[in-house]
Amino acid sequence: MSLKRNFFAGVDVGSLAAKSVILEDGKVFATGLVPSGFDSVESGLNALNLALETAGLKKEDLTYIVGTGYGRVSAPYANKAVTEITCHAKGANFLHPTVRTIIDMGGQDCKAIRIDQDGAVVDFAMNDKCAAGTGRFLEVMAGVFKVKLEDLGALSLSATELVPMSSTCTVFAESETISLVARGEKPANILNGIHHAIANRISGLFARVGITSDVFFSGGVAKNTGMKTAIEEALKVTIVKPEIDPQLIGALGAAVLARNFSKKQGLWS
Amino acid sequence: MVKTDLYEYPPELREEFEATEAIQFRDGSSATAADVWHFMTEIAPKRYPFAYTQKKYAGVRLSRDIHLPSAIKNHYLLLTMNDRITRSRENGAPVIFVQGGQSVDPYYAAGGIALRPASVGLWARGRHEGLGLNEEVVRQHKQKEKAYHAISFEACQTAGYENIQEGGLPIDMVAPFTCLRCSDISYGVEAHRHGPNKAVKLMNIDYPMRHQADKTWAVEYFAQNLRRLTSEIGKLAGREVTDADLSKEIRLHNEGRRLAIETAELWWSADLPPTNGVDRRSLYQMGGMEVHGDPSASLTVLRESHAYIKERVNKGIKAEGVVDKPIRLFVCGSCVFPNDFRIEEAGAIIVGQDNHWSDISTLVEEDGDPYQNLAHAILSYPYEQSVEVRAAWTIEQLKKSRADGVLFLYQWGCNTQSAIARMLCDTIKRDTGIPTMIIEQHEGGSEQSEQLLNRVNAFIEML
Ligand code: SF4
Repeated sequence: MSLKRNFFAGVDVGSLAAKSVILEDGKVFATGLVPSGFDSVESGLNALNLALETAGLKKEDLTYIVGTGYGRVSAPYANKAVTEITCHAKGANFLHPTVRTIIDMGGQDCKAIRIDQDGAVVDFAMNDKCAAGTGRFLEVMAGVFKVKLEDLGALSLSATELVPMSSTCTVFAESETISLVARGEKPANILNGIHHAIANRISGLFARVGITSDVFFSGGVAKNTGMKTAIEEALKVTIVKPEIDPQLIGALGAAVLARNFSKKQGLWS
Repeated sequence: MVKTDLYEYPPELREEFEATEAIQFRDGSSATAADVWHFMTEIAPKRYPFAYTQKKYAGVRLSRDIHLPSAIKNHYLLLTMNDRITRSRENGAPVIFVQGGQSVDPYYAAGGIALRPASVGLWARGRHEGLGLNEEVVRQHKQKEKAYHAISFEACQTAGYENIQEGGLPIDMVAPFTCLRCSDISYGVEAHRHGPNKAVKLMNIDYPMRHQADKTWAVEYFAQNLRRLTSEIGKLAGREVTDADLSKEIRLHNEGRRLAIETAELWWSADLPPTNGVDRRSLYQMGGMEVHGDPSASLTVLRESHAYIKERVNKGIKAEGVVDKPIRLFVCGSCVFPNDFRIEEAGAIIVGQDNHWSDISTLVEEDGDPYQNLAHAILSYPYEQSVEVRAAWTIEQLKKSRADGVLFLYQWGCNTQSAIARMLCDTIKRDTGIPTMIIEQHEGGSEQSEQLLNRVNAFIEML
């Protein structure tokens, strides 16, 4: 007797990238990541189609789809929309059931999330008013140093010292950086200062929600090793190593929820 | 421009609606249900098309709970604000701009019309006809820019002083209570003192600070202030104001307050929400008798609605569009609230709000000196007390309303509420374990920002 295979998808449309994860029962089956375009529906579909293509599946093969991220409100392809806070919690819990605290740094905001053993959110705090600690801020900094965004981390880890930064406001930090370069400070040392300034700012979010081990770092900025090290120093924690691209955690959590919701609705057993 | 794609009330509803009660106004006139139906289906879609928007999340859109007559009548009263206030003023009733969130009994006792900032905004809105939703939002934004000029860019910009400074509305007097709840009062009063429109009289009702409700001197001092107030309004209205006038007004307003309390108790006791969040808020607000600029009108609608809510609760009738067992949110803070439509879509509902509920749920003693009784009631409003006392009262409301979570929402520039938010929420959480969330809003528009709603949605999911 051949059992029907069940596939569940999560689609996370953020401000910089659209991500998709397809789960087959307990395993990540395929993923898709594309830059976000002007049209959030199209971006989500592009990410989903990429994951489907990688998996060799068609959309009809999916049992259930959950949409998340800022594009979730207009996601006609999804059966349900859930906020990315809940999805990051589920995604991190799926990979590491011992995780209790999540730092999520995405393109346009930054979140501190505390979760329980089931991956349910216990408390959270967000910084969505200020660009400090967001992918956009680091993008601007990469532009100032004329390096690729993904090279910022390695560059900052080659620093020999830390140049203190007085501002984490994107506009002021940009002009401060330019004047530091003009004064002869090394880019690596300035970047080290930038990462630590952001890490210190973000620790304020944790003053509200608290930190309990294990700590997980998700979102696009989590790929920045310089940022990860600065956060570990600022929060005095060790961040667990993710098995998959940390930018996909929201989409992964959405896929986990797709599996849970569809089971509850009796779509499979 | 002719507006298309507007919401239409189903014509088959007409007969049912026209069988409902008339609205009685303070000047002795009335609007039959047929008048209301005609205005809402024939006239208002042309004059105020923004309210008929089909955008499902637009905060100004009409309630879709069409079998609740108060929902349609409330919209009617809000959309006729300009017509009614302008006419009453032409007939000799002075319009007083009030702030400080207190009860409006003394203003009406003296023959005036008391309008808080939001109502002044509605009056001003009614003077611009034919605007679609986006045009109306552009108008509001322009108005906010004027407010920056008229008051300060540091203020919250909901105060509405710009309407007075530029002379856009014929307001006769500015008479705020100088209590601490609203930091815009001091900005506004200073702006008015230095502003160009000196013709509008300014009178501060001096509110004894530091929680003096149990001190005889404070009650007497405040009662004297209220006497000064009614006397000054009486001069504008061309009449002498007697103690009997205030006693009569207190009895009338107490009826509204009692009805709102009873309606709230019914609503909170229901297994299934008998109305959506927007209609619930309107009903509770009507008990304050300020919202329509005509206490008699608010009272007739509230009386009728109370019977409807009772029937819905007894028969287990649930409001359209609300889920069976929604997450119940209680909102704290002044002047702003999260988008009900998005909240209900996410499976939650707002069950109450502290702000004006504090004054609506405080009855005024009817025997004895009416000024002293009113002074004592106003000085006792829980919202004006220390954070510990306000928190204890809020906790009582949370229990009565069976709230699952508390959202404290305040405007950027609302200095008192922003300072109180953390301590109030921490106290509530400490004493009840009910989760709380604080959000600052700094935006205008027909819908709230995705960032704000994202937090609210995540909070609902967490609950
Ligand atoms: S938001 Fe705050 S400062 Fe502004 S009018 Fe309301 S209470 Fe006053």
